[in-house]
Amino acid sequence: MEHILGKLFNPESVAIVGATPKEGKIGRAILENFIKRFHGRIYPVNPGYDEIFGLKCYKSVTDLPETPDLLVVAIPAPSVPAVIREAAIKGIRIAIVISGGFRETGTPEGEKLEKELEEISKTYGIRILGPNCIGIYDNWSGVDTYFLPKMKRPPRGFVGFISQSGAFSSALMDWMAYHNIGVSRAISYGNKIDIDDIDLLEYLGEDEKTKVILMYIEDLKPGRGKLFIEVAKRVVQKKPVIIYKAGKTSRGSLAAASHTAAMAGEYSIYKAAFKQAGIIEVDSFDEMMDVVRIFLHQPLMKGNRVYIVTDAGGVGVMLTDALTSVGLEVPQTPSDLKYILRKELPPHCIIENPIDLTGDADDERYMRVLDILIEKPYVDAIVVVALPQIPGIKGSFIDHIIKLKNEYKKPIVALTIGSEVSLEVAEKLEKGEVTVFESPERLAKALKALYTYSIIKTRGDHHEKP
Amino acid sequence: MTTTRSPKEIIRKALSEERLKLLEHEAFELIKYYEIPVPETLLARDPKEAYELADTIGYPIALKIVSPDIIHKSDVGGVRLGLMNRDEVARVVEEMLKTVSTRVPHARVLGVLMYRMAPPGLEVIVGGVRDPVFGATIMFGLGGIFVEVLKDVSFRIAPVRITDALEMIDEIKSSKILEGYRGQGPVDKKTIAEIIVKTSKLMIENEEISSIDLNPVIVYSNGAIVVDARVILSKVSH
Repeated sequence: MEHILGKLFNPESVAIVGATPKEGKIGRAILENFIKRFHGRIYPVNPGYDEIFGLKCYKSVTDLPETPDLLVVAIPAPSVPAVIREAAIKGIRIAIVISGGFRETGTPEGEKLEKELEEISKTYGIRILGPNCIGIYDNWSGVDTYFLPKMKRPPRGFVGFISQSGAFSSALMDWMAYHNIGVSRAISYGNKIDIDDIDLLEYLGEDEKTKVILMYIEDLKPGRGKLFIEVAKRVVQKKPVIIYKAGKTSRGSLAAASHTAAMAGEYSIYKAAFKQAGIIEVDSFDEMMDVVRIFLHQPLMKGNRVYIVTDAGGVGVMLTDALTSVGLEVPQTPSDLKYILRKELPPHCIIENPIDLTGDADDERYMRVLDILIEKPYVDAIVVVALPQIPGIKGSFIDHIIKLKNEYKKPIVALTIGSEVSLEVAEKLEKGEVTVFESPERLAKALKALYTYSIIKTRGDHHEKP
Repeated sequence: MTTTRSPKEIIRKALSEERLKLLEHEAFELIKYYEIPVPETLLARDPKEAYELADTIGYPIALKIVSPDIIHKSDVGGVRLGLMNRDEVARVVEEMLKTVSTRVPHARVLGVLMYRMAPPGLEVIVGGVRDPVFGATIMFGLGGIFVEVLKDVSFRIAPVRITDALEMIDEIKSSKILEGYRGQGPVDKKTIAEIIVKTSKLMIENEEISSIDLNPVIVYSNGAIVVDARVILSKVSH
């Protein structure tokens, strides 16, 4: 049976209540989005118009010529409950309520309206995303309720994003567009009176177009925590889930009851839950995107032994410190490898890991060493430091790195530091799906996340076996 | 005290008397039901009973007043530690009953709880709370300043399996102390892990418990014992 949430992302027809030709209105932005990219049938609903942008406009949901798969509502809050009831009676099963003016206002009226909406959803069984949200940006179906015309749309891709914050979600889409990171589907769920993070996580877990799930959450609904862990445990066996938890300050209300209660700040419990679920928790925006990028393109690690190939001794040392302090290992070069490298490299090169090809290195030298390293079973990941400022580097090693990474299914990441010349190398490597970083510390954290997930995944595979 | 009551019976009785905090002997009885190691406690109603029981308990003996109306036992002279023979025990029980009844005249006193004091060891804390989002959640930490000042604790959402429990123990920043220091040998992590798992079970099976502190649990190179237990109930079941 098809998942009901499937209609949120892949409807064949959509009705937009509040569609309007008026400049600057949310209803207009949403209608334009659908006209631009959605290939299904579109029904504007607004009693004030007979036609908008060449589409026949309907007076009400009841008047629609069919029961659309999806309803989008962008009208003032007080009118929303009646429209949703009408839609439910019409047979519509799922709706996105963009409108704000509910519980988030902190007013009794807002609270009342939200309760009413919740009631209708329960009574009639109509599923609701929102209210007070920006809804869905689906790169594959063209469903796009992100009513921000200035926001750049990221390319089609494989990152699924679930966000409790609408503004952050749209900013991130814009950022990902700028950095050319592909998105499958993004969801901002707002007040989550019905559909919540857990439903969406479960859906994206099954979604073929989503390979990495990123979540931004502030809080889960009361009583939903155990289900969240259960669902996440299943999902992480298929794909990595990365989470950023906002609002980390501790809750004081329980403080008096007991020692344990006083210690149990809300965040420490979330942290434990993420760990138990096998979710990768990130602490900053930088880390969030670094980890997303590494998961998108790198295979899993079989162990934690990292080898560094560099043309700059200093950066090799910085990396060693950074990798070691996150708990990865930068082992000493084993004697068999030392023997081979000694024969291959000029005497002034350092064959101890980090392997330093020195400032007179050229493409050829990089390629020879990488060919040797990638074969070794005790090399779990390679970090290539490619500072392209040195004269010997012409760039032919870039394609070679890409080729090795694809052939051997072993993580290879790169570090470049510098201006245009460095960015050019970075861009080429990224295109070939070799993840590039500018900072040793950020590289180390991202690689550690990859290793952590590798353990979670293999542990899970182990459990699966009969 | 002689017949074993089920956790439900203990909790029901407390709630029927509108007590949200279990009396110490009730808390011990409850955790003992889950095979968490506790000292053998006996309730003496008068000095004569205390005198007769003392030898079977063994020394040094701790005495604590048992009353639903007294929250801070030591403030009213309701705690005495390190008693070394039965004459001393009988005399102190008499004194204690007298002092308490003078200081808190209307307190209902059930008697004096007697148990053999545990030898010194490493103090740890195992606790449980009921989180509104995640439900029963279990905590582990080292006792004293580690938990109070450094807040060096780890959590898991229940049910906690033995492997999770061992992970919790290793996760705290000061976990090296458990490996032994200043000539002390390593402590019995397995027993701590078992206590954590049993606390998790206890929290899951008794929805009325809103929080529990086993603080301290004294751990040795072989075995451990809970020296103080606090169990808080809530009226509404979650």
